[in-house]
Amino acid sequence: MSGERLGRLALQAIAVMIATVTVALGLAACGGGTVGGGNSDEVTTAKGGPASGKLTISNWPGYIDPGKEGTVAEFEEKTGVKVDYIEDINSNDGFFGKLQPQLEQGESGGRSIFVVADYMAKQMYDLGYLQEIDHADLPTVFKNLLPSLQSPAFDPERKFSVPWQGGMTGIWVDTSKAPEIHSVNDLFDPKYKGKVTMLDELRETPALVMLAEGVDPAKASADQWIHAIDKIGNAAESGQIRRFTGNEYTEDLTAGNIVAAIGWSGDASLIENPNAEWRMPTEGCTRWSENMVIPVGAPNTAAALAWMDFVYRPEVAVDITEYVEYISPVQGVKQLLEKRGSDLAKSPIVFPSEEFTRNCTGQNTPPELERVNEAWQDVLTG
Amino acid sequence: MSPRRRSVPYWLLAPGLLWLVVFFVVPMYFMGELALRSGSLTSGYTFDWAWSNFPDSLSGHTEQIGRSFVYAGTATVLSLLIAYPLAYAIAFRAGRYKLLLLFAVIAPFFTTYLIRTIAWKTILSDSSPVVGVLQSLSLIPSDGRVLATSGSVIAGLTYNFLPFMILPLYANLERLDLRLIEAAKDLYSSSSQAFLRVTLPLTMPGIVAGVLLTFIPAFGDYVNAQILGGTQQAMIGNVIQSLYLNQRDYPEAAALSFLMMGLILAIVMVYIRFAGTGAFMGDEEEAGA
Repeated sequence: MSGERLGRLALQAIAVMIATVTVALGLAACGGGTVGGGNSDEVTTAKGGPASGKLTISNWPGYIDPGKEGTVAEFEEKTGVKVDYIEDINSNDGFFGKLQPQLEQGESGGRSIFVVADYMAKQMYDLGYLQEIDHADLPTVFKNLLPSLQSPAFDPERKFSVPWQGGMTGIWVDTSKAPEIHSVNDLFDPKYKGKVTMLDELRETPALVMLAEGVDPAKASADQWIHAIDKIGNAAESGQIRRFTGNEYTEDLTAGNIVAAIGWSGDASLIENPNAEWRMPTEGCTRWSENMVIPVGAPNTAAALAWMDFVYRPEVAVDITEYVEYISPVQGVKQLLEKRGSDLAKSPIVFPSEEFTRNCTGQNTPPELERVNEAWQDVLTG
Repeated sequence: MSPRRRSVPYWLLAPGLLWLVVFFVVPMYFMGELALRSGSLTSGYTFDWAWSNFPDSLSGHTEQIGRSFVYAGTATVLSLLIAYPLAYAIAFRAGRYKLLLLFAVIAPFFTTYLIRTIAWKTILSDSSPVVGVLQSLSLIPSDGRVLATSGSVIAGLTYNFLPFMILPLYANLERLDLRLIEAAKDLYSSSSQAFLRVTLPLTMPGIVAGVLLTFIPAFGDYVNAQILGGTQQAMIGNVIQSLYLNQRDYPEAAALSFLMMGLILAIVMVYIRFAGTGAFMGDEEEAGA
């Protein structure tokens, strides 16, 4: 066959395809469902019962000891449930974006538990992507949950969320290279040009920059948010900020690529650099907690509930705290740590006092979210 | 020709066409439909011929489009400069090492693209020996870095797409009739004349194929910019990813994807016209003419 003939054939094929698409598009104009808008099925309550079978949990990296001696293995041994523990969450928005089309269809991609921040849990619940939880299935959780976490504003009755760990966002400093960094303002010092990273989360980085400028993120207007975002954008453009990261800032600290980063208080287990130290910014931090939630379409909710109840046993919770060094929502962890003679019992990062966090703010959602987020995303994709 | 024989080419095309329809045309249709919706994630996106998504999706993103063009273009040129001599050497000078060298070209594919790109982060980290050598040779400033720069993104693209340039060039050079070069020399052409007037035109189909196979995926790539880039290296792929996953503005993301596809298609058409359709179709006589 000659090249010319083949070419004509290809052209015919393309013409047919274009015609098909055009006709189909025309049809869509008449019918056409909606994309997004939330899952309109009725809210279900996760079914309890004896745990068995297979359980898939999605969590952030460094949030549990996944090893042979770790918490996951212990749960498998005690209950006979086979756990597929995947560390595939690197940012709240990114994870939501990835799963949203499936959740919209009432599917969770085989996962029975996600761990997400307060605002994200609320957003998922409002869109009908989560199942409710019956407190009767979680006796250990509600016996040991810290009173201060029992009735948060986003979920006053803890209908759909169970706290996993809490933490603070502040500054990680390589003390051998930049011991004098104590404030987020110091990160804009030209001395550290190209040696600083910041988190790509809207509710963390711009909020901390506002705090450093004396603006309360909880009360800030959209313009004040955008002002902070512009400041960060200019610093990115000038080369002051090396990268915007999720958990990857821990790699840059380990490799010695940076001297300081905006980062999460409990990430010591991910940073292999003896000089790395988490510091409370002088102007305050953002405080957050993350929650276990059960998505719609979750298989084996009985095992998911058993997992939640299991990690609220103080003797299990203390192992998690020792490994991850975040703030545990479980009562009695401090006493157990003291009994084990662990220094963590005295750590202000694991057990922050009121005094230590007096200037901190929660995770605030800006007004005019769409406009502010667009400005933020434009900075991220410089 | 009997009717039966005439239908043979169509049957031969059928599996490929079916594949194309299921995995390209159908998703394309959904994308096109999505690009014409408007609304928000909470209220739902409804189809209402929202053509404004197309101009909206471009606004504020022209810089990243230009950057993608420059990065992909530079990576393609670098790949060609590296690949041509290499493919030439493998085809004519490698002797019994030919298979081994070809294997070396393909070997990186045994490891995932993502892992190989992440490995470059370790190789190029600020305190690595590679960066130290570059600093002491004054190729970069003494406090300079390689990671999180345009250079590292272009290097990553070049590295990742190089085999797509080498293989078509090799396949083309391999079947080059060496007697033609001998004939040119017999007619008193110098080596460089023989190369420019015989070898190069005859290998145009390989060059065209290699350039297309390198440029098109490099233009849409977002992994290299994400992993090896800094704050000012985002390519258009990163913008589309952000629109889809972080802003959840599905219609604009779909519209931007369509525009980029159109742009690439236009570039390729112009390029093929310029380089000669015959070369693209593997018609060597026309390419050589």
